[in-house]
Amino acid sequence: MTKTLISGNKAIAQAAFDAGCDCYFSYPITPQTAIGEYLSEIMPKAGRGYVCAESEIASINMVIGAAATGAKAMTSSSSCAISLMQEGLAYAVGDELPLVLISVMRAGPGLGYIYPSQCDYDQAVTGGGNGDYRILVLAPSTVQECVDLTHKAFYLSQKYRNPVIVLSDGLLGQMMEPAEFVKYPYPEIDNSNWALTGAKGRTPRKIRSLEINEEKHNQNIQHLFDKYAQMEKAEVLYEEHNVEDADIILVAFGTMGRNIKAAMNLGRKYGIKIGTFRPVTLFPFPNKRLSELADRTKKFIVAEMNMGQMIKDVQIAINGKAQVKHIGRPAGAWLDETEILDEAKIMLGEEYAASV
Amino acid sequence: MEQSIIIAGFGGQGVLSAGIILANSFMLNDKQVTWYPCYGAEMRGGAVNCEIVVSDTEVTSVHKKETDILIALNDLSFNKFLSKVKSGGIVIANATLIEKKYPREDVKYIFENISDTARELGSIKAANMVSLGILSNICNFTDIKSIKQAIDMVLPQKIRELNYKVLDAGIKLSESCRKE
Repeated sequence: MTKTLISGNKAIAQAAFDAGCDCYFSYPITPQTAIGEYLSEIMPKAGRGYVCAESEIASINMVIGAAATGAKAMTSSSSCAISLMQEGLAYAVGDELPLVLISVMRAGPGLGYIYPSQCDYDQAVTGGGNGDYRILVLAPSTVQECVDLTHKAFYLSQKYRNPVIVLSDGLLGQMMEPAEFVKYPYPEIDNSNWALTGAKGRTPRKIRSLEINEEKHNQNIQHLFDKYAQMEKAEVLYEEHNVEDADIILVAFGTMGRNIKAAMNLGRKYGIKIGTFRPVTLFPFPNKRLSELADRTKKFIVAEMNMGQMIKDVQIAINGKAQVKHIGRPAGAWLDETEILDEAKIMLGEEYAASV
Repeated sequence: MEQSIIIAGFGGQGVLSAGIILANSFMLNDKQVTWYPCYGAEMRGGAVNCEIVVSDTEVTSVHKKETDILIALNDLSFNKFLSKVKSGGIVIANATLIEKKYPREDVKYIFENISDTARELGSIKAANMVSLGILSNICNFTDIKSIKQAIDMVLPQKIRELNYKVLDAGIKLSESCRKE
């Protein structure tokens, strides 16, 4: 199959189209506007829905409306504008609606800055909406993964009837890399037993997050958490390298996952036994595997372009079995391999550095 | 083996499209490649640059602290990015707009009249292709055939002939500095 040199943003847009996205609603914001721009060209031509909404609050609610009818619906946005969608996300979870949200992170808080960042890990993974809820979060690190994980996002959202976030960032969104546009590899999921398609000839249905009955309410929330338990069993994804003999393991998600690999390659040249671990699903988080790794390796560095967000999940997974240190900064030049390697050397200690 | 290239200049000098053409030519040679544009307020009429990383194996980090090759199309970018060039690296500089100077002794300078060459052949806007012609002579990851193929993939039909011509002129200019 031939490869195309394409940006992460456009790759996500094309992959969503290939996954059968019926409707796309969004409001432009840097650095993800190229997604909407790309879809504005191809969606109407294919007879599918494209609306440049009047606000992000409108776009997430349009997505909810479309999803309730059984359509595959998506929106995309960035940081401060995704803050505006938090109420909608909580409703979508409560309504058990499948939808895909592409989050292309820039710096924050507030209006922040248009430079790439990873400061919305917490926003995506723990969320800002109300209630007991979780959202599946997939974090690509290459343009090819932008394609593959966007496909997966549509599938998982339908499979679990839950929103899925693809967590990209401004660097991955704007950089180009060769990618293959494979056919949507997942089965279509039947939604005829819940979608609102007109009640003629059948019992009317309701989609709502409100339940005025204590017992039923608690049952509904338990049902959500049964789904999350199922996700934790079946959907965890991660990428690891050289962990078998590692004296230190570098952990990062998304684009930073590339830089820890560069640091590992550089360190291994000097005989420093570095391994890397990159969670691909941020929820469900690869707790079990990290815990296993901490049985053997006693030093972990979490590298993030933020002030320390994923580190909390790594610490929970490792549960005191190993030393965990965060390195990062809020935005600007990304931590490069020499900086990461220097931190690894400091953590390993002078004696170790002298012995290799 | 991995190599990184920064192309920098004014908006309008074809900095980003030269990078995209180069990156496509690497892809046509079955290399792994990333192209990353400079992002910020600079994009509005001022300085612009892009960074290309090419490798035989997977490209890891995209945004490097140091670069192997710098193509500087104006004085501003020469001054801004010279310090990013690795010791032993190469600087291709547009002598039409940059006064010849050699502030560092550990890099190799190739000063050529890039903008003038493009202007004489029909359009100053094609200066970017002169610089790619020069680069094709010193970079082992690509060749003139795949750059021409990449031009076909990226540029509209009506300006392709001009760009081939300017590219060839760039190769000629740099025949003194062959691939090592």
